[in-house]
Amino acid sequence: MKKILAIIRKDILLRFSSPAEWLFFLILPIVFTVVLSMGTPSENADHRSVLLVVDEAQTSLSREILRQLEKSSVVRPVETNRQDAEQRFRERKVEFWMLIPEGVTEERQQKGEDLTLTFYEQPNQTIALAARRSVQESLRAVTQSLQAAQFAVEQAEEVRPFENEAQRLAYYQEARSLAIRLQNEAPERLAVIRENTPDSVPYDPRANSSAGQLITWVFIPLFGISVLMVGEREGHTLARLMTTPTSAGTFLAGTILGQVFLALVQMALLIGFGMVVLKVPWGREPLGLALLLTASALSAAALGTLLGTMVRSTSQANNLSIMLGMVMALLGGCWYPLELFPQAVQTAVKILPTTWAMQGMLDLTLRAGSVRDIWLESGVLLGFAAVFFLVGIWRFRRQLR
Amino acid sequence: MSAIVLVQELVKTYGNVLAVDGISFAIEEGEIFSLLGPNGAGKTTTISILSTLFPPTRGEAWIGGFSITREPMQVRRMIGVIPQEIALYEDLNARENLLFWGQMVGLEGKVLKQRVDEILERVGLVEKARQPVKTYSGGMKRRLNIGVGLLHAPRLLFMDEPTVGIDPQSRRAILDMVKDLNRSGVTILYTTHYMEEAQELSHRIGIIDHGKMIAIGTLSELIRQIGEQEKIILSFSEDQHLAPLVDDLNALAGVNHVIAENHSVTLIVDKAEEILPEVMQWGHQRGLKIRSLQIEEPDLEAVFLHLTGRALRD
Repeated sequence: MKKILAIIRKDILLRFSSPAEWLFFLILPIVFTVVLSMGTPSENADHRSVLLVVDEAQTSLSREILRQLEKSSVVRPVETNRQDAEQRFRERKVEFWMLIPEGVTEERQQKGEDLTLTFYEQPNQTIALAARRSVQESLRAVTQSLQAAQFAVEQAEEVRPFENEAQRLAYYQEARSLAIRLQNEAPERLAVIRENTPDSVPYDPRANSSAGQLITWVFIPLFGISVLMVGEREGHTLARLMTTPTSAGTFLAGTILGQVFLALVQMALLIGFGMVVLKVPWGREPLGLALLLTASALSAAALGTLLGTMVRSTSQANNLSIMLGMVMALLGGCWYPLELFPQAVQTAVKILPTTWAMQGMLDLTLRAGSVRDIWLESGVLLGFAAVFFLVGIWRFRRQLR
Repeated sequence: MSAIVLVQELVKTYGNVLAVDGISFAIEEGEIFSLLGPNGAGKTTTISILSTLFPPTRGEAWIGGFSITREPMQVRRMIGVIPQEIALYEDLNARENLLFWGQMVGLEGKVLKQRVDEILERVGLVEKARQPVKTYSGGMKRRLNIGVGLLHAPRLLFMDEPTVGIDPQSRRAILDMVKDLNRSGVTILYTTHYMEEAQELSHRIGIIDHGKMIAIGTLSELIRQIGEQEKIILSFSEDQHLAPLVDDLNALAGVNHVIAENHSVTLIVDKAEEILPEVMQWGHQRGLKIRSLQIEEPDLEAVFLHLTGRALRD
């Protein structure tokens, strides 16, 4: 045990002999976590499609139409001029736009004149249909209040004619305001319930970023066990060690446990950052979290050990560790939600430990899972660890001969 | 005296390559035993097998009565190994290196710290003890490399070409350290391809070539194997072309071997004083300008040449 601790201490001293190590151990992981948690869309963001609106009328009626459109759950009106709208539409930067021409006034509406708004849409766009419906709905809401006010004026005149036009207009506007208020206060006839069904895409940029970056930046140095192993071989220190009363098992245990220990410390720091700064709920299930983190670290360390028996030089080991770490993190859903990938890819990447680690961490943070919910992920990760360790140790011992 | 190292018919093959070919020898306690041979002769492989780094393909060896194949941990506790390469952690300093290696050989606590201080003193690195090894000169690294092998005061020390690639001053210091260690009772197995080192240090020498032990004994025993041969070294002025003259010299009676290199010719002869007049006359007839003439007693170079037909440095 003392020898294992001595090897761990030596590896920690070597790893932190360069101050640059702090960059990879803590600084870059935190920077990437913060950037990705802010840079990706959140639940609070406006997901509605942009509807460019060119308001050439600039009347109270056209402003009312725009106000109604703001309430739409499908489109988000963005005012612009005609030239810009036409250009962006031509360049297919927008799916649709709407023109409110000059002459769209309440007076003309009251006189019953035909007022036409124009809706331009790209061909074969399903979303355009929904946008058009939403525009029609907004127009209906505006015209309904106008019609109701108009109807109220007509009914009032039948009972008692207005003394003058000002009285008539005041009555009209009072009736219109009442119509709008009643419209707004009208009970919803359609209740929409958004269910958390199992096949939904769970995504919270802070949780995804915290978990994904943790896996990325912890797995890469664990794959770097290969660099340590090859470094010992290249530097002739392994050969010297194997002539001291130290067994190959002690060497491997010290080398691997040291890096796993550092990985757990690194993970604890990154989780602390996630909890305090990003308010990610890492602490719901401490036992499950500890199990998952340990299983993840062991699986990555085991792969690093296996790599250490396969590569020939430290530069090769270094490059391979970084490349594998990045690619496996990307494919494992650590940078983008796995659900964005085609189904075949989602199935294929199940052979990667990063996929299972990410899945388990999202179970704990996003889906409020318990130990029971992550036993499969932890089991698979430990399985990876067992297989990689067995093959790696077997190859290492064979190479010593 | 008893044998601390006993080697019997040691064989090591790598695929079709025979690196060690049935070597047998014994080393007595308190001896400096040198394995002398050219690069690739099998010296490092032999020392690696004996230090239990890897097992032999066939054969067996015992160190202090322990089998290298069945009791490697007991063997490792007895031996100190100084590898040919610098086997240190360059990003750590000398003290950190010694503390780590001390723990690997089983030292701990006060004993460890005391031994580290003693070794730093011995290898002359007390003042540089807290500087990273990567900032050391080649000689300093070599001395620390040796110091690591001495940490647990081993009974038997394996030194694999410890003077390769260093300056003459450091080399002298290392050779003195080897003698000093031996005087303090340490048995040393020393490998080298420098004939002078083997001659200066060794109680007995084993000459190894192509994985085979071709001769073994004290310096005088080895020289006796080749009879009363002596060496005549002739140096010529720089404009002489010597290669065409080798055959002429070989033809002289009493000349056994001729080695021509640069501007000198070395003759291995039976009796220098008898053949010298004839050689001088030969040179005079050909108008050769002899700048110097030297007669040497037979040495290991001559032994190696006699046994293999090649110079040691070939």
